[in-house]
Amino acid sequence: MQDNLGLIKRLQNQDSTALSSIYDQYSGALYGVILRICKNEEQAQDLLQETFLKIWQKAHQYDPQKGKFFTWSYRIAKNISLNAMRKTSKLIQNEDLSVYENKEVNENQIDILQLNGSLKLLDPHHQKALELVYFNGLTHREAHKEMDVPLGTFKSYIKQALKKLRETYQKELFLLWIILEKMI
Amino acid sequence: MMDRNSIKDTGILEQYLLGELSDKQMTEVENILKQDQELREYFLAMEDDFEKLAIENAIPPPIHIKKSLLTAVASTKTLDDSDKVISIKTKDRRSIYMTIAASFALLFALSSGWLYNQWQTARNTIKTVQNQTVDFQNRINTLENQLNETNKWYTAINTPNTIQLILKGNKISPNSTAITYVNHTEKTVILNAKGLVKLDQNKTYQMWADVDGEMIDMGIVASNQDMIAMKYIDNAASINITIEPAGGNDHPTVERLISNVFL
Repeated sequence: MQDNLGLIKRLQNQDSTALSSIYDQYSGALYGVILRICKNEEQAQDLLQETFLKIWQKAHQYDPQKGKFFTWSYRIAKNISLNAMRKTSKLIQNEDLSVYENKEVNENQIDILQLNGSLKLLDPHHQKALELVYFNGLTHREAHKEMDVPLGTFKSYIKQALKKLRETYQKELFLLWIILEKMI
Repeated sequence: MMDRNSIKDTGILEQYLLGELSDKQMTEVENILKQDQELREYFLAMEDDFEKLAIENAIPPPIHIKKSLLTAVASTKTLDDSDKVISIKTKDRRSIYMTIAASFALLFALSSGWLYNQWQTARNTIKTVQNQTVDFQNRINTLENQLNETNKWYTAINTPNTIQLILKGNKISPNSTAITYVNHTEKTVILNAKGLVKLDQNKTYQMWADVDGEMIDMGIVASNQDMIAMKYIDNAASINITIEPAGGNDHPTVERLISNVFL
């Protein structure tokens, strides 16, 4: 998956059609992350818009030498969501001390939030580890406590999970290649 | 610096990707990646994996978000444009401020010039006044001295113990008159020589006391003074005035006696 540097250049030059294309390309993936962090559709929609506004405003700061455009966008989405969550939980605490966190998630949302794809082929602890750091926005230090394993062990979970993921993707690519071959 | 394998093992690249590192650590990792092509490829593969993971787990957002985003962007663009307009206005305003500042500076310069001029005038006036003051002071001093002198004479002659004696000129100097004030208690003699006829430069009046027939010098009568303190001589029978050569004489020139008075 190569970044379309021409498109990014246009975005950096404040071309709103480029923003539209980039939105089409990444909004689903970023919304998936945001919604899994904040678990509230209404809020997630606002945060998605905020994320893309920031991408638009800070596009000139993106340096392709330092990584992929999606990684950069992902970090923005994650930061915005985590900041919003911190503010929300503070507000809730201020309003009513008996309620600490608003973790009510209805059944529809649980369906939506369920992880799909290659991730489901991984071992449950590998799935969990990736879910925590990638989709729930926890840091390594928070996540290893959440899973109740030492930090080193957690890190190797991530490493192994990524390795397995890579293998799955390669298999898929191979299958795709065979299908394409057959079709041709 | 960490080597390639330890970087892979520490999991720092994963944390870098996830945005968990501090700015300082991020810069370090970025520098390492810049220098290590193989590590960069390793990281790029990791980025690809995470991106795929995200795309596989994408949730399509409601359609209205995009519309709302593009509207917001358009409005920020308009805002940016108006910002530009504002910035030009700011420039205008700045030039107005500059004009105002320049006006104030000019006003200040002019008023400074005027004030300097006023100051110089005032300084000159003060100098004149100071000179006048010094002059007045001198005159006051003179007057004071004169007053003191006069007071002294007045006090000296206006006491009950003072006897006033008139010395009238004889035929040698018929127009001369002198007044002496003698105080036997204080033992003072004061002569008012104003009425004596002016003498030539080489002559002077001299006063004598007659004590048992002997003439004793009471002093030379200074020509430039009106009131002169003379020596008091005990047991004098009379006071005499003679004309003597300038500088005075040891013995009176009796032929030149112009006046005498008995005590």
